[in-house]
This record gives sequence, structure tokens and C-alpha cells, in this order.
Amino acid sequence: MPEIDPTDHEIAELGPKIKDVDDADELREMLELEESGEDRAPVKTLIESRIEKLEEEDEEVDPSSADLDDMTVADIANLVRDVDDVTVLEDMLEREQAGQDRKTAKGQIEDRIESIEGSEDEAGEELEYVPPEEKHPDLDHPTNDKQWVENIDGGTYRDMWVYCETQHGELIDVSREMLGKARELMDDYNDRYGVSDEVGGSEDSSSGGDEDGNPEDVVAVLIGDGASDLTEEVIAYGADRVVYHEDDRLERFRHEPYTEIFCSMARAGGQVADEDHEDVEWKEYDEPRYTVFPATNNGRDLSALVQGELDSGLASDCSGLYIEEAMISNPAKTGKPGDSKEFDRILHMKRPDFSGFEYSTILCIDKPFRDFHPQGASVIPGSFEIPEADPEREGEVIDFDMDLNDDWFQVEVTDFDTLDSGIDLTGHDVIVAMGRGIGDAPTEGIELGLDLVDAFDDAAFGLSRGVITSSYDFDGHVEQYIGEDRQIGESGQVVEPDVYIAAGISGAIQHKVGMDESDTIIAINTDPDADISGFSDYYIEGDLFEVLPRLTEAVESGELAAAVAEASDD
Amino acid sequence: MTDDYEHYEAVVVGAGPGGAAAAATLARNGIETLVLERGVDAGSKNVSGGLLYAEESSPYTIDDLFPGFREEASDREVTEHYIHNIAGRNVKTFDLHDLHHHDTEWADSVLRRKMDSWLAREVHEMTRETGGGLLTEVRVNGLLREGAEIVGVTLDELDPIKADVIIGADGVNSELARDAGLMDWEEPDEWFQGVKAVAQMPEGAIEERFDVDEDEGVAHLFSGDLFENVRGGGFLYTNDQSLSIGTVFHLDSIADQRAEPQELLDNLLTHPLLADWIGDEYTELEYSAKLVPDSKKVAHPSPYRDRLLLVGDAAGQMQAQGPIIKGMNHAVTAGALAAEAFVDAKSRGDTSAAGERYVTKLENEGVMDKLRPTRYRTLGRLGEVGPVASAMNAVTDSVVGRTAISALGDRAESLFNSPFLMGMLPDTRMGYVTVPTVVAEQLGSPVEGESTVEPPELDDRIGDLTYDVDEGNPHIELRDNSFAASGTAVTACPVSAKDFGGGCYRDEYVGSNGTEEHVVSLDTQPCVECGTCAVVADTNWTHPRGGKGVEYEQG
Repeated sequence: MPEIDPTDHEIAELGPKIKDVDDADELREMLELEESGEDRAPVKTLIESRIEKLEEEDEEVDPSSADLDDMTVADIANLVRDVDDVTVLEDMLEREQAGQDRKTAKGQIEDRIESIEGSEDEAGEELEYVPPEEKHPDLDHPTNDKQWVENIDGGTYRDMWVYCETQHGELIDVSREMLGKARELMDDYNDRYGVSDEVGGSEDSSSGGDEDGNPEDVVAVLIGDGASDLTEEVIAYGADRVVYHEDDRLERFRHEPYTEIFCSMARAGGQVADEDHEDVEWKEYDEPRYTVFPATNNGRDLSALVQGELDSGLASDCSGLYIEEAMISNPAKTGKPGDSKEFDRILHMKRPDFSGFEYSTILCIDKPFRDFHPQGASVIPGSFEIPEADPEREGEVIDFDMDLNDDWFQVEVTDFDTLDSGIDLTGHDVIVAMGRGIGDAPTEGIELGLDLVDAFDDAAFGLSRGVITSSYDFDGHVEQYIGEDRQIGESGQVVEPDVYIAAGISGAIQHKVGMDESDTIIAINTDPDADISGFSDYYIEGDLFEVLPRLTEAVESGELAAAVAEASDD
Repeated sequence: MTDDYEHYEAVVVGAGPGGAAAAATLARNGIETLVLERGVDAGSKNVSGGLLYAEESSPYTIDDLFPGFREEASDREVTEHYIHNIAGRNVKTFDLHDLHHHDTEWADSVLRRKMDSWLAREVHEMTRETGGGLLTEVRVNGLLREGAEIVGVTLDELDPIKADVIIGADGVNSELARDAGLMDWEEPDEWFQGVKAVAQMPEGAIEERFDVDEDEGVAHLFSGDLFENVRGGGFLYTNDQSLSIGTVFHLDSIADQRAEPQELLDNLLTHPLLADWIGDEYTELEYSAKLVPDSKKVAHPSPYRDRLLLVGDAAGQMQAQGPIIKGMNHAVTAGALAAEAFVDAKSRGDTSAAGERYVTKLENEGVMDKLRPTRYRTLGRLGEVGPVASAMNAVTDSVVGRTAISALGDRAESLFNSPFLMGMLPDTRMGYVTVPTVVAEQLGSPVEGESTVEPPELDDRIGDLTYDVDEGNPHIELRDNSFAASGTAVTACPVSAKDFGGGCYRDEYVGSNGTEEHVVSLDTQPCVECGTCAVVADTNWTHPRGGKGVEYEQG
């Protein structure tokens, strides 16, 4: 009797159980029991496939006698993987030559021979570089036109470069977030990677940083028509150096010139610099060690192009970054099968998987005969904190001089839409906001609110969500004031004026969070129990249609301003 | 170019208990399974009254499929079950022990955020082994067809995905079931509406006030006159550190009587019978609502079309056994059976036969008969026909009826405990209101004490919920905003009320110069996605995009 009688179990339980049975005969007995019992098709399938699998494992093919003619190339590839005896392999090679003489099959066997003989050599043997076109003469070489592909090997890399994206001449938040993170990473980097005794290095033993003990920097890159205006700000947020290029043609993001400029900056002063930038005062290394871009629409575009052009990789849409050693055993990276090698100063780039349940950590590591630098990432906005700006910070500013080729501007922007940025209710002295209390005569209610706005020197007109989502029938002349761009509250704007006048607004929590930081809140409502009475400084119980005109009058005659000024002094 | 679409053997839409059971069973059988969930987290969109049964007669229970379920994901095992017949202060309590334990292996109170998110983690681990996994914040919005045949699903956030089988476990408002023409939102009398408050309890209070051990719990049901003639009842279940207190009514009754569900819930919360249990400090953690299908009427006898198999609420699989409501357990069974059907069909080399096999399994395993009892089909329906119903009602309330009930005395308790009788009861005022009220008046005694509970106002209840509003993309559209067509939603919607401007549906008068029109306006911001307005108003109803809308912390 087998240990498990399948007829005692539900299908769902059987799956995992059957997986643990390793005896094909026992499985056959189970199959018989099932057939004479419940005879469930999926159960039989489960058992049969397990039997099949076990028997496959048993059917070991002996490589020294296998009939290669019967085998596919893939089978041969699998077979040779486990053979360590070169004479067996050479025998196989002869048999293949005598038989079908498939080039691909021979290649598999030869590779295996090579890898075994290679690993038997004494340690320390140098790998020999064979250019791809010699190694694979039959292949096309699309990489040929990537002119830098082989040029850097054992190059020098330093610093963390941060591409600071701007919009309408201002830094966007993610640029500040990246600067803060870069500052933190490089401070830690400079602390951690000191000078090792063997190398000697700088005289100041407390310093750390690159392989010679010189600290590495955070380098901010600014490209755009008003780039020079922002250099101080990026230094305040943590950059040691700012490299910028300014040109009127760069008013909006254009990926070709932006890529050319960034790459020219990154290569300047190194072995692959362009003609005009072979010698620059501010940089001697070949390329940045690390690059960080924002994972915005434009940042994603630029990051992919730049990293491609610099012949490195890109970890896109990351949410975490740290620098650490990595122990790698992949022979493509270590150069020797079976060996593990520690790579240091590796930027670990964490990115969320689809589900948010898992993270992948991406590493970008040099391999023999080809460097993969800069190690580059794009960063999801909001992943890091915006740092506190330090206006006292000092840094070096480099105006990167460069001729922009007209060809880069062949794509012409003929037309564009500005997304309606709407109405900014913040920054006013006074806000008059109207709620559903206007329901009896919506148009008149809005008019009264607007009259009060006009009575102040600097006031703006806002609405509660309840008005915006209503079906009120507004007359044409006030309709323009009814829209989501005037909404105050959780899903609208958050305001904190000196005086907030809420007319006919009950003050639900969603509205409250948009205005309760206002200095003085004046509420007008017919319902004395309305929530807003609990957080207003002045509560006027009354109908807004009567109260607002009188309030407007009071403001115009200066009475209200005086009253409020007095009250807020208390 | 549908050939370019990504393909999985199985796509499961919705990570509730039905979807989880299906996905687990598929994964165990090595089927490549992708689970799609629209919430930020499984359970963030899900509400239930809160009792999950494991039936002895059922081929699958949730702890079979998910070992460790009861330790990790459920709250207390309900060991005592009572129903209270209420007339004013008069209460007559019956012990529902026999009905509760009939065919019951165990019954646990659950909170869905905790439960479903635990299930989802298990499901993710299992399905990723098969080459699939579980994705959150992804909303399936319809079916992908080739010609007339359903071959996959379409999504808001991603390209369409093809599959050999699609398990539609997307809940009571299943957009897949509607797309396939298997369900509609037409008749209010096919639905119940449930509204629930989760109330926080101080440590040790449940043990003390309900006289139970730490791992034991109690279920109380309430019926009688405290709901103003609206047909339905109330419940109170003990969770680990909170109480689930709620009401469930026939939606047609709520609609016809223009009842405010939140006020009916408050009637229960403030009844003196509950005063000692709730205590002096009432802290409401969460207000929630959901529609419940009346399986007697809508459980689909053949819940599949092409490759789409519906399970759980999406297929109307929700059993009201008299006062006891069972839904999640049937979803679990159906989910596992649907998966099993696909596995069978696949091993026979014809995956297109999965639907037929699923229907056969539902019949053979007795699920269908629980959902649509034959005796209700013949007897119960008759009792709902107008003249018969009012005649029965009149008899019960007459001297004759009252005398009969008095004479029954405590034998009435045993009648309530008959699953056979309870499955036959017609859905009329008699069962919900008249009988319990008369029972309480004739047999009950008054409760002492006063309730000090002050339930929050609706605006505070909405304010306490978490929303991620999809600005500019309202997920519900009013097709007809006249009060005549859609006005019922103002009262029936659990987050709207007459004279309340902060809800979803508000009634308004528009127009000037003498012609005034009575209309309703809709703001989907406070929407709790229950689906009530899909039935009682004229709308184009969809769920919000993945990750958007309300997020329940308790559920």
C-alpha cells in the first residue's frame, strides 16, 4: 500500500503531497487506487506527470555512448554541461563530426572543452581580449556604430551627477529630493571609502573618497534657458559643483540637444572627451561614477538616451539607492567561471515590482574589457525627502561652453498646450468662499460673494466642493467663477489667508483641511450647529443673502478691517 | 493585433475569498495564474457583516485551502448566537444555537482588510511559483472578445490580457458579470443593502461584557420594530478588539420607504439593549456599506460564459438562511470548484468545457440548492404575492395570531432554529417585523437602562474614511438627473441624506422665473462603492480606477 491513498484526499491537497513522493512504483500504486476508486481525471494527471518526471530523471544518458545523431543541439548542450572529462568531450566531438557534423553542436562541445581547460589553468592567467568582430566573424555588428563601445576599459570615474530638471524656470521637487539623497550618499561614501595603507594616497589620513583618498562630489547638471538662475539653489540643496549650459533654444525639453549636452559634460576632460572639451579645468576623469535622473516624462527620456550614449545601463524608476560592496559570481562579470569577486562602490538601485510586493535591486557592474559606468538610475518622484536648503553652502559653478548643432533642433515645436494651471488662491490676504448655502438663489449668492471680494484690496474667491458638483443653474456672467480650480479643501487648494470668510459652508472635514490654518475665520451660516461654528473665530448666525451685503458695506467703509486688525492683535 | 497581448492560463479578477480560493487551487495544480485586484491592498475595497462559516457539508473550507487562516486572518470563533425580537423596550431573546451549529464546522468573525490582505500575501506567494502573481491597484474594466467570444480582460491601467480561463470574483457589482450579460442592476427586490459600523472596544471589555474567553465570540441578531417597518434586521459580532454592528435591509424596502440607512443603523446603535455591550464611550472606527445579492432570486444557475466563470457575490452566491447570512463560505467553495473545473477540463484537453463542469460541480456539491432552495421556489415566492402577504400579516397581528404565538411560548425558539423553515420564509414584512414585534410584545420583557451612545453624523463618518479621489474622473455618471428617475438615491445611498449637502446625492431645485425643476446632483467623492445607486437611480455605474476611491482600514 502506498503511504497516501489518493481517494482519501481532495485534489487541492494532493498536489503538494504528490510532489513529495519520489518512488515511481508507489505512485503507480496510487494511480491504481484512484482508478479503482474515484477515478478523478485531474488526480490521475497529477500522478502521471509526477511519474513521468521521476522517470525522466532516471533516464540518465551516458555521454560517452550517447547517439548524438538522435539528439537535438539543445539536448547536447544540456548533456555536456555535466561532463568534466575532456577526453569524453573530444570523443563526442569526433562522433558529431562523423555524424551530422552540426556546427552549432560542435560549438557547444568546444565551448565546454574550452571552459574546462580554461579552469584547469593556473590562477592568474590573463584573459585575452578578442574583439567581437573577430570572435564572431559571421555576425553583423550593429554595435560598431556605437563608437565608444570599446574605448573605455579601466577608466577613471568619480562623483555622483544629478540631473536637475526644471519647469518654467524652476527646479521641480524631485530635483531637490535627488540632491538631498545624493548629498547623503556621497557624505557617507567619503566617510567610508578611505585610503588603504597599501595605496598610500593623500597626506591627510582623515580624508576619504576615491581610490586615492580624495573626496568625491555631488555634481548638479542644469540645462535650459534660465539655468544660470538656479545654480545657487542647487548648491543650497547639496551640490558641490554645478555644471550648466544655457541657451534660448533650450526653453523646452528637446531630447537630442539635452542628451548631447549632458554627454559632452560627462565626457569632458577624459579620454573620450569631444574635441572642444579635451581639457577642462574642473574635471579630469573619464565619466561620472554615478548618474541620477528623475523618473518624470522628460527625465525618463533623457536618462535612457544618456546612459545608452555613454554605453552603460540604466535602472529606471527606482525608489531606493545605496552604495555598498557586491559579491558577484557571474563569470561574465568576474571573467572566470567559478570565481566570486567582490566589487566595491556599487550603487544598489532598488525598484518596486509591479505588484508592490517585491523589489528588485539592480546593479551595474564593469566586466572584463568593458566598463559599465556611469552607474545610472532614474528615481520616482517623492521617493526621498526634500532636504532643508542651506543658503550658506558654497560650491563651484561651471558655465559649460558648447556650440549647439543646428541639426539637433530639427524637430520643431509648432504648437503646444499649457495645461490649465488654473487659479491660484494662495497668497491672498482674504478669501471669500461660498458653500451650498447659496442653493436658494445660486447666481445671486455668487454675485454677493464677488461683491465682497471686490471690497477688499487683495482677496480671492473660492468655493466648497458641494457647489462645484451641484446641478445649480448659474447665469452666464457668474458661470466662469464656478469650477474645480476654485475648490478649497482636501481635493482642492489649501489656503491660509489672514482672513477666511466662509458663507453657507457647513465645514465638513474635507473642507476644513483646506482652510483651518487661516489666521481669522469668519463663518456665516443659518445653522448654529454646523461644524464650522466649532473652528471659526467669528460666527455669524444668519442668512448669507442678508449678511453678505452688510459685510461688504462694512468693509468698504473700513469698519471690518479695523475690527479684524484689533482682534488679531489680541 | 490581439495576438500581441500578454497571455496567462488563468486570470482571477478580484482578491476576495472567492478569488483567493480559486487562485490557490489553480496554483496548487500548477496553473499559471495572475490575480488582479483594484484596491491599494486586498481587502481595502471589501466589506462584510463579518461572520465566515465553514460548513461540514462543503467540499472546501477556507482553512483547508489556507492552512493557518484562523490563527492569522480571522478574529474570534463565534460560539454563541442569539436573536432578539424587539418591540419598543420589550425584548424576547431566542438562542439560535441549533440553527447556528447546523452543518457548521466553525464560524469566525472577520474584518476584511485584515483577512483579505493576509489571503492575498499567501496567494501571491503561491501564484508567483506558477509564473503569475498578484497585482494590486489594477482595475479590470471589461471583457476582451475575439468576434463574439470572450478571450480575456481589458484594464484601465494595462493592455488587455488573454487567458484560457477568467475567474470573475469581482464582487457584487461585478463589471464582468454585467459585461457578459449574466447580471444586471435592474430590480431593487433582488438585493439587500448592508450598513456597518465598527466600534472600538477597550482591552478586556469584550470578555467582560459578553462573558466569553479571549478566543471566543458572540453573534447577536436583532429584528422587530426598531427599523420603522423597513424589512431587514441588525447584527452585532465580536471581533478581537472591536464590535461589528450593522443592519441589512431589503433594498426595495429602503427605496420604497425612502428610508435613511444610516439612521436605521443609529436606531440599533442607540437601543438600550446594546447599551451595556457598547459601554459609555462609543468610538466608531469605520462606517461602511455594501450590497448583498439575494441568492434566492439572483444566484445564477449557470454562472459562466465562454471562458468567464463567476464566483461569489459576482454570481449572486449569497445565502440568507433566515436571519443567518452566509456568503463568504460559498464564495470560497465556488472559487475552488471553478478552479477545479478548469483543471479537470484542461487535463481532458478541452479548457473550453470548464464552465459546464463548474455548473455541474455547483449542483453536485449541493451549493446551488443552498443558494436557491427548492422549497423557497415553490412556497416562499407565493408568500410574497401581495394579497397573500398582507393576509398572512394581518393574521399574525390579529388576536388569533397573537394568541397562537403566546401559546407557542418558548417553542417559538425551536421554530426559529429550523433551517428548513428559515429557508422557506417569504421575504415580507411578516417575517422581519410583524412576527418579531408580536413575539416581543407577547413574550418579551422590557430592558433596563438608557443608551448614552451618540453615533457620529454622516459628514463625520465620511470625513473619517480614507479616500484617494480620482479628480476629474468621476466613476459614476448620472444618466437622468431628474428627481423622479434618480431621487431615491438621496435617501437610499448610505453616504447621502435628505438636506445633507456633503453626500453623493443631493436634491436640488434649479431654474428661475417660475419654472422650477426638482433634480439631483452627484458628487462621487464620498462614494463607498456599494452599488446602491446603480439599482435605485439611473446611472452609468463603474468602479473607480485601480487604487482610487475609498480605502477601508477595517472592512
